[in-house]
Amino acid sequence: MALYNFKKIMVVPTSKEFIDITLSKTQRKTPTVVHKHYQIHRIRHFYMRKVKFTQQNYHDRLSQILTDFPKLDDIHPFYADLMNVLYDKDHYKLALGQINIAKNLIDNVSKDYVRLMKYGDSLYRCKQLKRAALGRMCTIMKRQKQSLEYLEQVRQHLSRLPTIDPNTRTLLLCGYPNVGKSSFINKVTRADVEVQPYAFTTKSLFVGHMDYKYLRWQVVDTPGILDHPLEERNTIEMQAITALAHLRSAVLYVMDVSEQCGQTLEQQLELFNNIRPLFANKPLLIVANKCDVKKISELTEEDQACDKLLAHRVDGKMKGKKVHDVLNRLHLAVPAKRDEKARPPFIPEGARIGRKTMEVDAPKRKTERDLEVEMGDDYILDLQKYWDLMNQDEKYDVIPEIWEGHNIADYIDPDIMKNLEDLEKEEELKVKAGEYETDEESEDEEMQEIRQLAKQIREKRKLKIVCSKDKDVHGPRLPRTVKKVERKTLEKEMGDLGLDMTGKDDSHYAVNARRSRSVGVAKKRKREASVVPTSRTRSQSASRPPRDQSGVRDPKMAKQAKKLMKNQQKDMNRQGKKGEADRHVFDLKPKHLFSGKRKSGTNDHR
Amino acid sequence: MRIEKCYFCSGPVYPGHGTMFVRNDCKKKRNPRKTRWTKAFRKASGKELTVDNCLEFEKRRNVAVKYQRELWSKTVEAMRKVEGIKRKRQAQFIFNRLKKGKQLEKEEAISEVKKNIHLIKAPHAGKAKVLEEKMVQKLQEDVEMGDD
Repeated sequence: MALYNFKKIMVVPTSKEFIDITLSKTQRKTPTVVHKHYQIHRIRHFYMRKVKFTQQNYHDRLSQILTDFPKLDDIHPFYADLMNVLYDKDHYKLALGQINIAKNLIDNVSKDYVRLMKYGDSLYRCKQLKRAALGRMCTIMKRQKQSLEYLEQVRQHLSRLPTIDPNTRTLLLCGYPNVGKSSFINKVTRADVEVQPYAFTTKSLFVGHMDYKYLRWQVVDTPGILDHPLEERNTIEMQAITALAHLRSAVLYVMDVSEQCGQTLEQQLELFNNIRPLFANKPLLIVANKCDVKKISELTEEDQACDKLLAHRVDGKMKGKKVHDVLNRLHLAVPAKRDEKARPPFIPEGARIGRKTMEVDAPKRKTERDLEVEMGDDYILDLQKYWDLMNQDEKYDVIPEIWEGHNIADYIDPDIMKNLEDLEKEEELKVKAGEYETDEESEDEEMQEIRQLAKQIREKRKLKIVCSKDKDVHGPRLPRTVKKVERKTLEKEMGDLGLDMTGKDDSHYAVNARRSRSVGVAKKRKREASVVPTSRTRSQSASRPPRDQSGVRDPKMAKQAKKLMKNQQKDMNRQGKKGEADRHVFDLKPKHLFSGKRKSGTNDHR
Repeated sequence: MRIEKCYFCSGPVYPGHGTMFVRNDCKKKRNPRKTRWTKAFRKASGKELTVDNCLEFEKRRNVAVKYQRELWSKTVEAMRKVEGIKRKRQAQFIFNRLKKGKQLEKEEAISEVKKNIHLIKAPHAGKAKVLEEKMVQKLQEDVEMGDD
């Protein structure tokens, strides 16, 4: 119920932290860039967003605080009273009220400033408005410092309260300080309450749990109560009183008969009488403690306390209205007797025997543990002797599991031999039918030769491709016929291809080579500057004149042709073009170097 | 203890090595049927023997059989034989699949040679000699005829 929420209350930050968190969040989660030259609605929207975002954040967190903290009217009166005792109801309500007011104020501030910002006409003005708004909101938060601190402390303490369920079975220990309540709870439950010889060791309520009659019981240990009127009681005692007042439980009033606690029996009785009104409607037991020190006939034990409480609770329930409804619906139907034949309830043989053996503690079967104890060091845990196999003598076999990467368990099959036989028959048939014949007809000579040739061809091709890639020629390429081919390479290549190149001295190409060599040598001495060097290869036929001489009759015409050529090139050269095909348009004033502000940079790259 | 199959690649996972293989299949959203190297892909695209009697021997049966020594030893023997047969059949399957490729290879070689023989042998490589011999023979014949 409300119990659980105490641990789930969100941490309440200090006011400074709160402001820091919200402001940094605003900065991170809203856009940060705005310029003077943006449109005014965009600037306004930008700043309004910031104001609203901050307001939203504050609002959310404060609302969360308000909902997390329990309302004293909504929780069980035991807890309400306990909180009152510990934290002062008024202070608590005030703190939460302050938080609420702060929340509303922040909302109002934001509304106002957003309204004002609609009329902001410049970036500067909007910015000032936003500053003012955020500033006011943060001031409001600064003023809440005290409340926030108080609430944080309350939260921490609340989360550490023991989880006492006000509705279940409870035993409440009360009495003077130092009578032995905490020792009792330590003995009876797993709680570990501090026990010391001085009074008021226990300063708050402690809970332990124990089992009795298959039920869970809460045992609540309280700080000791002194004998003075209610108004003069301090916080610690008030906790005990609260517990007494609100928890429906069995009360164990512990008395110290040995008077070790520092009070006489009479004083303890006095106290008992004083707080008697609190015990109304609760089963009460007086526990005389520390009787080992001073013997007195012991009164009661926990058993009686629990039984009494149970009876009391059942009584209470019976008297309650709800039970009547249930009772009405409960009706034990007994079949009417048909005839005189007795029909006792049927109890199966096994159950009857079982019941008998339970009652008579018959000697059980010898367990492994007994064996172990008997044999001591010689004992070996041998589970295989219980195995139930077809042949009992195979019990101690080592069972193989894996063979050559296969699980044997996958192959186990009672019919495996039959299947294997079928498979082998099938295999035989297949072999007979010739499925496994490798029809690799050994290829005849011709085919082998063809393969050989194909291989050579492929190699040669690859080689050629690699060679041509190696050449790596970018730009205009000279035609093949311009290159001079050596006689040696020609003859070698053709020889590789299988032709007979011996004795080719008077072949066409050899003759030409000799002729061109002699001609070239002579020309070198008599070359004039104006004559364009004609490049002719030795392999080229002499009957084909170079292009700048074909169709030219005499030197005069050649001169004129040359002049025409130069004239045509003048224009292109002046414009710095590479040739008549060069149509490139230069970008002398690129936009990115001539536009925009020149902040820190040069015109080279800006 | 048993050897499991990896969920992804269908390879064997020996006891104690699981993590290695689990890491392999932990990549994001890869369908083993589409990753080319897994067994699942190969079987799904018909690259390996899928339906065969010898593969029915190895399957997970959910009925436990009580241990009997002779049954176990017979099973091991049977496993050996089945393994042998399985390998033969798988090899044969793959061989059949690749037969067509061999045929194509042959044809390709023939066409290659036909088209590009000029790269290694000039078309009239040996012809000059043959022609010469023919001429010599013819001359000889003429001479003989002339004699007669």
